[in-house]
Formats: sequence, structure tokens, C-alpha cells
Amino acid sequence: MSEHEYASMNEQLDWKDAKVIVAGVDVGAVSSKAVILLDGQPYAVSHVVTRTPKESAFRAINAALAKAQLKLEHIHYIVGTGRGRTQVPFARGTISEIACGAAGAVHLWGPSVRTVLDAGGQSCKVIRCTDKGRATAFLWNDKCAAGIGRSIEAFADLVRKEVTEIGKIALQSDQFPKLSDFCTVYAQSEALDLIRSKVPVEEVIAGYHHAMAKRISTLVGRVGLKKDFVIIGGLANNPGIINWLESNLKLSRLAPKPEWDPTVTVALGAALFADAFYRR
Amino acid sequence: MRGQEILGHATAPTGFDVVAAAETALKNALETAGVARGELAGIVSTGIFRDRIKGPPLNVTATVPDYVADAKGALFLNENSRTVIDIGGNIHKAIRYDQHGNLLDVIQNDKCADGLGIFYTTMAKAFGVSEQELSELALQSTKRVSVAIHCAASAESEAIDLMCQGVDIADVADAISRFVVERVAAMCTTMPLEKEIVAAGGLAKSKALMRHLPGLLKQDVSVLRLPEYAGAIGAVMNDAGRK
Repeated sequence: MSEHEYASMNEQLDWKDAKVIVAGVDVGAVSSKAVILLDGQPYAVSHVVTRTPKESAFRAINAALAKAQLKLEHIHYIVGTGRGRTQVPFARGTISEIACGAAGAVHLWGPSVRTVLDAGGQSCKVIRCTDKGRATAFLWNDKCAAGIGRSIEAFADLVRKEVTEIGKIALQSDQFPKLSDFCTVYAQSEALDLIRSKVPVEEVIAGYHHAMAKRISTLVGRVGLKKDFVIIGGLANNPGIINWLESNLKLSRLAPKPEWDPTVTVALGAALFADAFYRR
Repeated sequence: MRGQEILGHATAPTGFDVVAAAETALKNALETAGVARGELAGIVSTGIFRDRIKGPPLNVTATVPDYVADAKGALFLNENSRTVIDIGGNIHKAIRYDQHGNLLDVIQNDKCADGLGIFYTTMAKAFGVSEQELSELALQSTKRVSVAIHCAASAESEAIDLMCQGVDIADVADAISRFVVERVAAMCTTMPLEKEIVAAGGLAKSKALMRHLPGLLKQDVSVLRLPEYAGAIGAVMNDAGRK
């Protein structure tokens, strides 16, 4: 999870040379992201914290536009996605985050990808896809597994650790207590009790991550895992979750792309759809 | 406290070091009271972690179970009260007592209703507002929408869905408030509530919550003065009564 807000751009490209400028905006439950493409190439990317969906959609696109010194009217086509996709007034169309996640992941990692785990702030989705990045099946988390990403943020707050650090801290302990892997509310309640009983906080953090990873593994197991496997969404940046997820699934994900924040993959997928729609 | 008089009070977030939190709260309370530590005749602890803070540096002289303390504190703050509903961070409970503050009946939430207070705080943070502002927002609500009736994880998920459908933030804030109060009211159905009914705990400070509670219980409920201190005050009163 990354609580921080940022905007970045590819300095190698110049929008004045581009024929087709499109954008994808992903309004998620915890964060909103925008990706701008120049002739199909990622140009500018932004990531902001979601407050209210509509206002966050504007903040996300404006952050990317400002970084790239572009104006909204320069963009030929915008697609909205994510849980708040209907709240993107400047989008010409909307596409589900399932379709966008598959398209974005296959674009980044290539046609060998068959399973995409999108582990976000509020929901976890397992998506099966074709070599062309078309989603063929998916499974959404059941209700009791909602909000794992956000719960890790809230948990980091409770134990006063940075959300960007907590996943690393989780890997520091060889031994740790087992926590409820059914419900995030129980797990949090149990974790607090343990910490207050003087169990070292690092061990409780490890236990919490172990439990949440187990919860997500169950979900992946239900769809059936097919190689190659990639992880997108905020939790892809959490080494603790990834470690136990991979060991539970007995399969490693394809290595993350060093130049790409996995959190903005769904927005990339939306931008790719925008590109295709504009050219059609 | 000196006799019946409250000289000073303070709260500190419990965090994960219970002793440090208690120490901070005590220090700040002494400061507001203008009393030196050496002048204290004794320190009484209550709450779920009352036993963890017994040793140094606090050297607690007596501990009081939280139910007992809540009852005594509520009775002290309102002598006509016979039932107190305490809505705290992780647990909510209702306690019935007689005119001397002796316990008659208690009830506490089931596990799936744990963490209402923490949920409320998390939701305020998600909206980028303070808890006070969340309460004020809820009071501006004009349209009735609802979130889950059972568990905080589902309620959070549904609140976000409502936001994503473009529902006004004030209406979502009201739905969150009603969710919390409905959980409390559901707990109260299994125990007869005797008049007068008072509310304690941190969440009792939320006007948005308290405006729904009487309607759901079909009874009048008044909020105690210093609602989050009912337990602490009761702990002192109980101990004083024992001597």
C-alpha cells in the first residue's frame, strides 16, 4: 500500500509529437490513479488518496496533467474504471476494473500471463485471462475478506509504523503468533490484545500479514492458479504479504517491473481501452 | 478527584504500550488539576487493561472491574440513572444497577460487533475528516441510505460502495452513525433497560449517534457529562466507598 501521493512522467516523450493522447482513471476505494498514454506509450502517471470519489477522480487526472503540462482538452479519450468509475464526469466511457486489470497486466508482463491477482485496498480479485489480455473468468473476494488492504493501513496506524515499511517488518520474525485468518476485524482485535500483552510488535505484525496472506491464498485457490502469475494493486508492494502468498500458493509471481508501480496497472488498462476506442 | 469533586482529567490513546498511555493520561490529568503526584492519596485502575498497569511506575493501589466502575461512575454523574450504555473503542456494553450502584445485570457485544469505536475512527479517516466533523456531516444528512447491519468490515465496504455511487457524503456519514447505533440497540434488546438511561464512552460524544439511539431503543437516553470518564470516575468512587 502506498499512502503517499505522487505524479511522475516519462521525460523521453513529448506530447507535442503525439497523434493520440488518451487517459485511464481508476477510482479505487483507498486511492485513485490516472495514466496518460501518448500513442500507446505511458507518459504520465499519478496516484492520490481517495476521499470522495468524484473529487478524487479530478485530483488524480489533474495531478497527471500538471506533471505533463497538459490540459484536459488535449486528451482525446478518457476511460474511467475502479469501484468509483461512474463518478468520473470527464470520462467518455467506463470499463470494469476486471477487464482493465487483465489488459494492463498482459501489456506489462506479456502474453504468458494467465492469472492476475489484484490485491487492492478494499477488494481482492483473481482474474484469469488470455494471451491478448482478455479476462475470461474472475473471482471477487467474499464479504468477510473485504478491506484487507485498508485493514493493513489501519493496522500500520495502530502500531505506528509506516504503511510502506510494515510489510518489510513482517519478515523480520521467524516465529510469530497465529491470528484469525477469517475476518479482518477479529484479526485486528486479536493483534491489539497480543501487543498489549507484550508480544513483540514485530512478531504480531508478522502474524497479521501471515493471516491476511492466508485469506488471499484461499481466494486464489478457489479460482485455480494457472501460470504465469502476476500481482497488481497496492498489496503487490507489500513484501510480507507476497512472501506468504507465494509460499502458500507454491508459485512465485513474475517479478514486478522496476519502472512500474503495480498500483496503477488497472488505470493503465483503462488507458489502453481508451486508446483502442479512440482509434476505432 | 478530591471527595466528590473532579479536579482534573485527561485522555491518551492506548496505543500498544498500555503502561505508557496510562502514565501519560495520569501526568496530564495531574497537570489540569494542578496537583503534584506526591499529593495523590492513591491510584485506582479500571478498564480491560487495569491489571497490566498495576506495577511501577504507576503503583496502582486498587483495581476495579470495568462494569463496576462504569455503574458507579454513571450513578455519580447522574444520580437518577439506573442503566448505562457504554460505547467504547472495541467493546460496547450496557449495565443495569440499583440506587447504590450495585450491579443488577450486564451485557456486552458479541464478537462480530467488536470494534465499533475503531470503525468509526477509521471511517472518519477514510473520509479525510475528524470524528467530530463526521458527526456534524451526519447531522446534515437529508436522504436515508443504509450500510450492513452486522459487521464493521462489511459496513465499511458498503459505505465505500455508496460513495462510489455518488451518494452524498453526509448521507453516508449518517448511515455509518446509524450502523453503529443499531448494533448497540440490537445488543440492548436482550436486557431490560431501566430508567433513567445514560450513555458513556467516547462515542457518546457524537451527536449524530446519540440522536438515533433514543428512537431505536424507544426510550430516552441522556449523555453523561464527561462520558468517556465514567469508568475512571467510578473507579475512584468505588474505592472510596470501600474504605
